[in-house]
Amino acid sequence: MNLLVNFLAYVVGIPILAGLVSLIIPERLKIVTRLLAFIVTLTSLAALVRIFILKPLYWPPVDTPTFTVDNLSALAGLGVSFFALLVTVYSFGYIEKNNGRYFGYLLMTLGSSLGVVFANNLIVLVVFWGFLAALLYLLVSIQGTPKAARSAKKALIIIGATDALMIFAIGLIWKMTGTLAMDGIHVALNGVLPYAAFFCILTASFAKAGAVPFHSWLPDVAEDGPASVTAYLPASLDKLLGIYLLARISLDLFIMNGISNTLLLVVGAVTIVFAVAIALVQHDFKRLLGYHAVSQVGYMILGIGTANPIGIAGGLFHMLNNALYKSCLFLGAGAVEKSTGTSDLSDLGGLSKYMPVTFVSFLIASLAISGIPPLNGFFSKWMIYQGIIELGNAKNPFWIVWLIAAMFGSALTIASFVKLLHAVFLGRASAKTVGAKEAGVSMTLPMIVLAAACVLFGLFAFAVPVSLLIAPVIGKSIAYIGTWSPDMATVLMIAAILLGAVICLFAARKRTRVVSSFVGGEDPDQFDRVAGTEFYNTIKEIGVLGKLYSKEEKREFDIYDIARRLMTPTARFFQKLHNGILPTYLVWCLLGMIAVFLILFLW
Amino acid sequence: MNLIPFLIVIPLAAAFFIPLVGKRIKISGDIISIAATISLSGISIFLASLIATQKVLMFEVGKWAAPMGISMVVDGFSVFMLVIVNSIAFLVALYSTGYIKKYTDTWKFYTLFMLMVGGMNGVLIAGDLFNMYVALEIAAIAGYALVAFGIDAEGLEASFKYAVMGAVGSSFMLMGIALLYSYTSTLNMADMANVIANKGASKIILFVSALFIMGFGLKAALVPFHAWLPDAHSSAPTPISAMLSGVLIKVLGIYALSRIFFNIFGMTPKISMILIGLAVISMVVAGILAFGQYDIKRLLAYSSISQIGYIALGLGIATPLSIMGALFHLFNHSISKSLLFLNAGAIESSMGTRDLRKMTGVLARSPVIGYTNLIGAMSISGIPPLGGFWSKIIIIFACIQADRPVLAFIAIAVSILTLGYYFKAVTPVLFGSKGTHLDNKSKPITVTMAVPMVILAILSVVSVLLLLPNTGRSFLDGAIAVLVKGAIR
Repeated sequence: MNLLVNFLAYVVGIPILAGLVSLIIPERLKIVTRLLAFIVTLTSLAALVRIFILKPLYWPPVDTPTFTVDNLSALAGLGVSFFALLVTVYSFGYIEKNNGRYFGYLLMTLGSSLGVVFANNLIVLVVFWGFLAALLYLLVSIQGTPKAARSAKKALIIIGATDALMIFAIGLIWKMTGTLAMDGIHVALNGVLPYAAFFCILTASFAKAGAVPFHSWLPDVAEDGPASVTAYLPASLDKLLGIYLLARISLDLFIMNGISNTLLLVVGAVTIVFAVAIALVQHDFKRLLGYHAVSQVGYMILGIGTANPIGIAGGLFHMLNNALYKSCLFLGAGAVEKSTGTSDLSDLGGLSKYMPVTFVSFLIASLAISGIPPLNGFFSKWMIYQGIIELGNAKNPFWIVWLIAAMFGSALTIASFVKLLHAVFLGRASAKTVGAKEAGVSMTLPMIVLAAACVLFGLFAFAVPVSLLIAPVIGKSIAYIGTWSPDMATVLMIAAILLGAVICLFAARKRTRVVSSFVGGEDPDQFDRVAGTEFYNTIKEIGVLGKLYSKEEKREFDIYDIARRLMTPTARFFQKLHNGILPTYLVWCLLGMIAVFLILFLW
Repeated sequence: MNLIPFLIVIPLAAAFFIPLVGKRIKISGDIISIAATISLSGISIFLASLIATQKVLMFEVGKWAAPMGISMVVDGFSVFMLVIVNSIAFLVALYSTGYIKKYTDTWKFYTLFMLMVGGMNGVLIAGDLFNMYVALEIAAIAGYALVAFGIDAEGLEASFKYAVMGAVGSSFMLMGIALLYSYTSTLNMADMANVIANKGASKIILFVSALFIMGFGLKAALVPFHAWLPDAHSSAPTPISAMLSGVLIKVLGIYALSRIFFNIFGMTPKISMILIGLAVISMVVAGILAFGQYDIKRLLAYSSISQIGYIALGLGIATPLSIMGALFHLFNHSISKSLLFLNAGAIESSMGTRDLRKMTGVLARSPVIGYTNLIGAMSISGIPPLGGFWSKIIIIFACIQADRPVLAFIAIAVSILTLGYYFKAVTPVLFGSKGTHLDNKSKPITVTMAVPMVILAILSVVSVLLLLPNTGRSFLDGAIAVLVKGAIR
């Protein structure tokens, strides 16, 4: 076999095969499993770099290849293998039991994700896409706890349901165009069937990426699943794939129009604001991050929904950036959970002293997600804002709504991260956090790499990621509105920080005095620490928002629970009909036969 | 040497010898039935290889030529079914050796089991309608007795209902056959098709069609003729449930129905519409019913009705692609549903309960049961790359190709429902700790129980090979070709 001719097939196939092998390696030989996983993910990253340089590629060398690489898929594929490698390294420290299965599923996930991004045939795409849902189920439930299994099931059912809708869409596309090769499909949105196909395939991308209203599996999985899995799938790979598919359908497969773009904008705006508002009052570390993972998707959808080059570029850049900081955050959450044994915010606190590396990388990622310059999150959000403003220039009447939603979401994000940082790393240590140990090198290293990437992608946004990774996808030149020079701004900011430090050192320090706390005559020991969990609980008292929160708590926005609530009485109704009395059943048969007679003779 | 009669002779002979020796030598029932079913599967596979080149094989009983004499005919469709039936019968027989120990008089079980296999083979190779009916009754009556084999209240009630409803269905069938005989003056199916083609359609054909739809529809358990199935399939001994859901409803119902409507009458738009209607009702109603079940075997039983609906949908649309989807789904469903029933039996005997809410930690306790169950559930709920995914996608595409996007959407919705009810039920059972309610009676499964499950699980992973040109496509294509001949032109 010629390595170069079949390169793409190997890139997709070898991780899957290695994963299957890994499944049967016994636990005693876990060092072999880990070595295998490391080598495969490392090679895969190297191969993807090569693919990125050599693109376009295709396999097999026929007119309608199964796999092709263009700029968009090379970008997504590079991201996929990068995160696979980091999560593998992190997992060496994080995962203790079931190594064979864990790394097996992880490698198969890598292969299938690459299969999704390189697929040029819709059936191939949906096969890998659906297999990923099963792998997510298996990975989340790997520890075997009932809660994790329940979340895994929910994820599988929501994603699996949208997969089924995607199959329907593919069937319609096949009927309309007569082909399944993605490079030959450009469907104009006119008539019922094209819209039906568009909506159905859109739900698949929304569910995978976690956009409202298909988001509800994501916070559950984040809360109950292993942190490494959350960092790997919902935080990075699922985002890359979901947004890859969204970009693919809106840039290539369908010719978008005003209605479809507005739909994207609405979903994006609602996702941003809704999820971040819910995130504010969460009291579980990982669940809070899960809601942010939902909220961030909104920006990417918003960016792509603007349908102008700068907005789309911003959306795609945000996809990369989000994967960077969000997986860093989840990895940090995993490190904290691992060393303290809890993810409940009210039990955490003061960890900056005990876990400095985790703290610093977590801080950088938090600032990045909140869109603080000069980090990467700021830059991509800025591009998305520009895209929305461009919409305004193009006389789109609602542009201000999208802009406010995006900025408001950003403000709430920073608010909730202030709470999170305080509750976990600052404040006084709690019983569980005193003496917590920093995680091992294999866990901290990926976090450091990710945090560094957040900084670099922000500092050199123009020079490196945008021009190398994003611009080729868009093809057109990106026109920037306004100027933003990150190096200049950084210098200014560092200067400001230094100035502040100087003032602090020379002026403020001498005046501090330490006194015992005064709490209205009460015993101060009762108030020894402020956990910070309740920072924003007062907003629950605002009428509309209060209702929102209580409904969310009752899961009334959860499409899964809505469906379940509808199904149960229907099932009960049919069950009641089956009363176990034989004559009833015979009457049904008779009625059925009469109906058949009527159709045959009278119709 | 013509091997066709052995398909009936072997099981009937086995059914005869097992009682003779089975009373004295306990193990003889196990050995004879395994030997019989393994040779039957061998013969079927050999016949399949012959059919690939010869299209039709005939055996004339007593050298009397058809249509006067009785003939046994094997073509692509019947050999397709023969391979499925006999292979699953072999795996179930193997499984039974471990499972059936909890009953006394196991020789009776094996006798009835072999009768059932013989009856199904008889249906599949019968060249005339009356012999088909007789063989069908043999299989059905063996089925009634086997459902009650445990002699518990539940089983007896189920068996009674099954027997009464089955008899009602059979009598309508017989009436239909009699009317058809009076109309065409022949019973040989090929001959009958010629006569009907010459005489043209008439009211009597319509009348007989209605009778057959009810009779065979009842055997296939299409809603609203399905009500016997949930009881019968859930209270039968587990190997029998696997046979009933895995193959019996398909042979007695789907095979016979499609033989008659495709190869004797020829498909008409009205029949197609009725089949589609019954299929849609079955898929949706049984899917909803399965959602509310907490008895593992009852859930599987309802799911069988729903999946039979998919097969009927594919047959009803009657385009080459949809027939392919239907037959492939039949294949996949046979494998994965027998797997799931065998699995349910294994879970039941290792947990001591059938209530899904009371079980947990199957994976931790027995990885073989856990993983085979997971594979079966994934295949049937259509998760790629397992077999069930491919057959469902073919059926859905066939609906769209035939300009029936609404039907495709219903099929999609039901597949979402399927995913929901399977994983809702299965997930809490599989995961969790080993559980605290360890029943004292519970015991680990034997190797003979594990092996069939593992084989079936592997089959449901690799069944996609049937779609690939070089591996098994001719096997499937042979069956499709037989039915396409009778599709609407």
